[in-house]
Amino acid sequence: MGSKEIHKTAEKDRISKGQKFAYGLGAIVNNLLGGAIGYMSIVLNVGLGINPALVGTLQAIPRLTDALTDPIMGYISDNTRSKYGRRRPYIFIGAIFVGLTFALMWQLPAGYSEMFYFWFFLIGSIIFYLFYTIFATPWVALGYELTSDYHERTLLMGVMNFMGQFAWITLPWFYAFMENDRFFSDSVQGARTLAIIIGVFVAVVGIMPAIFTRERFVAYDKEVKVKTKFFAGLKKNIVEFSKGLMITIKRVEFLKLCSGTFFLFNGIMLVGAFSSYITIFYVCGGDTDQGAKYMGLFGTITTISTLAAIVAVTWISSKIGKRKTFIIATSMTMIGSILKWFCYDPMAPWKVLIPAPLIAIGMGALFTLMGSMIADVCDLDELETGERREGMFGSIYWWMVKLGMALAFGLSGFLLNATGFVVDFGGAQTSSTFFWMRIVDVGIPAIASLIAILSVASYKITEEKSYEIRSELEKRRSKIQTAEPLIQN
Amino acid sequence: MKIKKIIAVKILLVILVLISGCKENNDEQDGKNSKGAKTIFITMIAKSSANPVFLSAKTGAIAQALKISEKYGKLDVVVNWKTPEIENASEQAGIIRNAIQDGTNAIIVSCSDIDSLTSAIDKAVDSGIPVMTFDSDAPDSKRFAFYGPDDLEMGKTVMNELAKQIGGKGKIAILGGNKEAPNLQERIKGIKKAAADYKGIELVGEFYHPENETEAIVEMLRVQSLYPDLKGWAMVGGWPMFGKELMNKIEPGKIKIVAVDALPVQLEYIEKNFAQVLLGQPTFKWGEVSVETVINKIHFNKKVEEITRLKIIPVTIENLGGWSRQLKAWGYKDVPEKYLGM
Repeated sequence: MGSKEIHKTAEKDRISKGQKFAYGLGAIVNNLLGGAIGYMSIVLNVGLGINPALVGTLQAIPRLTDALTDPIMGYISDNTRSKYGRRRPYIFIGAIFVGLTFALMWQLPAGYSEMFYFWFFLIGSIIFYLFYTIFATPWVALGYELTSDYHERTLLMGVMNFMGQFAWITLPWFYAFMENDRFFSDSVQGARTLAIIIGVFVAVVGIMPAIFTRERFVAYDKEVKVKTKFFAGLKKNIVEFSKGLMITIKRVEFLKLCSGTFFLFNGIMLVGAFSSYITIFYVCGGDTDQGAKYMGLFGTITTISTLAAIVAVTWISSKIGKRKTFIIATSMTMIGSILKWFCYDPMAPWKVLIPAPLIAIGMGALFTLMGSMIADVCDLDELETGERREGMFGSIYWWMVKLGMALAFGLSGFLLNATGFVVDFGGAQTSSTFFWMRIVDVGIPAIASLIAILSVASYKITEEKSYEIRSELEKRRSKIQTAEPLIQN
Repeated sequence: MKIKKIIAVKILLVILVLISGCKENNDEQDGKNSKGAKTIFITMIAKSSANPVFLSAKTGAIAQALKISEKYGKLDVVVNWKTPEIENASEQAGIIRNAIQDGTNAIIVSCSDIDSLTSAIDKAVDSGIPVMTFDSDAPDSKRFAFYGPDDLEMGKTVMNELAKQIGGKGKIAILGGNKEAPNLQERIKGIKKAAADYKGIELVGEFYHPENETEAIVEMLRVQSLYPDLKGWAMVGGWPMFGKELMNKIEPGKIKIVAVDALPVQLEYIEKNFAQVLLGQPTFKWGEVSVETVINKIHFNKKVEEITRLKIIPVTIENLGGWSRQLKAWGYKDVPEKYLGM
């Protein structure tokens, strides 16, 4: 195959539309679960009077437990041997229990102390995140292995990312739903009902990927089961887990992807609050209603642009490859971020909308291409280690995203204070405060985008290389066994 | 047969119209509008409808009423603006009495005179109508809450800002406005209290005058001729800057000026360095916070603070642009365009 030749996906490597759709349903559930607590936790403060600092603690602690549970779940899933596969049994059970836990953890009874609510919700959260990990880690890994084709992977990730956006469209409406006094006496009652609706949705829709997809790698490397004593077995597993973890985090191509994601995603997340503050207090002069209107329009344009970008990126990457597409898309985000400097104009507030489509391109591309590129890394890893460890790669990648997001939210408040922002002054901040707010808002995502581009620029798994790896792997495998479907589709 | 059908349809239509008409009447008696939402009428009485400060407060009150009505589908908050053209305490008292008769659900008022308004407020409260004060309080009345500045603290801020401007030493004077106004006296008390902490500052006195631009300028110039080495003015109101005349009478920056109020007409004094610091009040919030507090009290039965102090915003050349945009957002119509892009 010549280096400029574009490989066409073989029929046997194609994932059916039904399977793509079923896998995409998992993205809606995954994003919904990931964002729901954040969007609903305002009720803990406003409805139940829990101190905001305690609410923050409630959201931070699960990030710490994730650091342990995510890679362990990845390891467990990678090393599971069952006739239904390594991923789908966990997705099936995880979806049901995470839905149930989510519904229960919000059934907060009335009339108790602040600390009662804190412990009730903390214990609920820890159990919830445990089941969330049981669902999400194998679901992420499943996406990396549904096809071994370079382009089909991107297409799958495009469908997944596209469908997942619908959760982000729904999430901002949660507060209005809970606060609607036509349906509920107060927001706490609203949260109870909403949690049940989400719980049922998660349990019903979340099991779809388990039912309607097929795993490719099941037991071709079946090991002979040797009976070992409990502690000896535990020791062996800990050693194996640690070894796998070290190999994963030392995989250079994987680290490049992690670095690219970390900087691009968190660079944008970090200044999310800044953009809102600048729009309300600088561009709209402290007019919160006008500011909210422009932020709403910005959000709508971003959503539409992200959906369009996912489609475009999926198509472009099939022509020029994933790395180049990522670099172009991230450059667009960088340009959009720089453009904000010129578009924050109090005399023409509408200009704040101009950068929105450009910024959205990079974000739309990010999780479409990265998922596909990590799948390519998993192939390279198998070539060198003889093991398929999608679970481990996926769990570490997403834990890094989640941790980065938590850090970004924390750092955001610190940076806002550093600019000299005084909330009581409203729109009457000093010129110097507005200047530094704009510098941070423009500079951080622009520089972060540049670092992301540099990180991925030297990524070596090109289309040609990917097909070479695959060919080598297929030579090794005499036969790929397919798991039995839970329901024949 | 056809005529009978037409007559039957017409009768049906008439019945439907009557039913809907009756329903509407019943709704009004229940305090509910045609959509089934409960209507809460708040009578807003400011000091003067000719004063842009209070028009900004009105904008804030209406914006908050709309916001609450949109947020809570079963609630419709209506602000009835009933403010005398020019300051008149007895007219305000009359408006309160009329509001009691009209069946208002709550009153928010900025008191032009404590004595005249206290009895009117008490009468309203005794009639079952909760009253809240903003900007200017009637502390001995039966009002349930007050939202406004802490005048003593404001006076201290004036002094501390002036001390920074003159490097902590030199002669200063207080421009005091109406000697009888209790809120201005409280500010002067604050200035004096803070001045005592600066050993190098000599307070030459407090000077009173009728509260208009011309009389204020006359008094300023008289004092400056008495004390040619005067370093700074601590003003408890912005009267001499309510027009451009003062710019022709003094040299920019020679005598430092720190004054309460930062209205659009005063902004040029900051730009041209005639005044160094103006203390702005978030007047939009007078209305916004008052309506929110009233609804929390009478509809949601929440516990509300009896006194809530608003935060004063120091306006300097550094935040002239931001303050100008904020004033415009609060509903001020006469903010000079040149400052909005700063």
